[in-house]
Amino acid sequence: MNALEFRETGQGKAGGLLLLLLALTAGCTSTTVDEFRQGDTGIENHESVVILGRRQAGNRETSSDFVECVGDRLAQGMDGLSVVPEQEFLDAMFPWFEPRTAPLQPEHLGRLMVEEQVALTMRDFGVRYIIWVDGFTETLNRVGSISCTVAPGGAGCFGYGSWEDDASFNAEIWDVENYNGVGQISTDATGQSFMPAIVIPIPLIARVEANACQRLGDQLKSFVIGG
Amino acid sequence: MTIVKLLLPALLLSACGASSVVISGSFPTPNIGKLPLSLAVVYDDTLEEFTYTEYSETGQEEYHIQSGQSHIELFDAILPAMFDRVVRVDAVEEGAGAGVDAIFVPNIEEFQLALPAKTRLDVYEVWIKYNMRLLTAEGDYLADWVLTSYGKTPTETFLGTETAINDAAIVALRDLASTFALSFAQVPEISDWLANR
Repeated sequence: MNALEFRETGQGKAGGLLLLLLALTAGCTSTTVDEFRQGDTGIENHESVVILGRRQAGNRETSSDFVECVGDRLAQGMDGLSVVPEQEFLDAMFPWFEPRTAPLQPEHLGRLMVEEQVALTMRDFGVRYIIWVDGFTETLNRVGSISCTVAPGGAGCFGYGSWEDDASFNAEIWDVENYNGVGQISTDATGQSFMPAIVIPIPLIARVEANACQRLGDQLKSFVIGG
Repeated sequence: MTIVKLLLPALLLSACGASSVVISGSFPTPNIGKLPLSLAVVYDDTLEEFTYTEYSETGQEEYHIQSGQSHIELFDAILPAMFDRVVRVDAVEEGAGAGVDAIFVPNIEEFQLALPAKTRLDVYEVWIKYNMRLLTAEGDYLADWVLTSYGKTPTETFLGTETAINDAAIVALRDLASTFALSFAQVPEISDWLANR
């Protein structure tokens, strides 16, 4: 009886340790940020930035949620920047910044600003920098299986699942005043997520895209304020 | 019990029926300079009542997509921003009496839908081909050109297929509006006509 009790306690501890280990490893996301500066930057109090997602690619597009997240990050804090919401800018600038009509090179901004309405709207928003964000998050290496059963006495799941998320985003910063590109910042984040199921599934999710957003946002802010 | 017997086949049949999607959304006003033209627009019945039916791989009707009204709402939003004066007439013959410079008749030629279940891609896609006609106030030919529009929406950003189809169609309509607004005066026949006015 004592031996049985000991085994049960040992299994419980092992299970607890396994869950703790999974919880700790699930929090691990590796993120790298690369910056390439082509020109001086700086922003006045009355100026703002707009972050736009690139949506020209065929079977994927930069999510507006990620663009919004980066914008929120730039606007945060004592040194927060004034950020024009993406949809508000696209609607006000319609049809000049749509997937098929948006300028692809900073030099094209000059041609666009010849249009009186475009120049006026840009001035109204006080946009000094346009930041183009291009990228996506994909899920790789999905392994494991979880089976769930429902019976008159109750329901439960058992199994284990794991997958890797890889977020890769590139931001191009255009200076609206001088019609040139002033730099690029890219970020890559990867992380492993786990979902053990012992009666109930316990998701231990790696915050890959959130980390990519946070690092990219912080780097963009210091780049724009930069010097 | 009788009610259950009656309801059960009805429920089963309704589960097998095609879903109806009425495209709806809002469109921004183009931020462009107006052309000094007075235009009559004719939305004929084929545009107004346009419905596309998507079939399943087994040939069953899967979705009825009604997009005629959304196209009319789109043109009603963009045309007044593009031209000095826009009037809606019921037929080309009414154009002469409306005191306009030209009559515009848009039509949908083809509608295609790509669902992730069939394409194995993570996006819903809508592709629409249009035939645009511009006539003189008397109904004579001025220009006839084809436009295409494309819209997609990723699978992870919504709750249901109907919402996804609607979102992709709205992106396609927005694409039509941007292309139409920026390319109208560059259609060779229209460009010549404008130059000779």
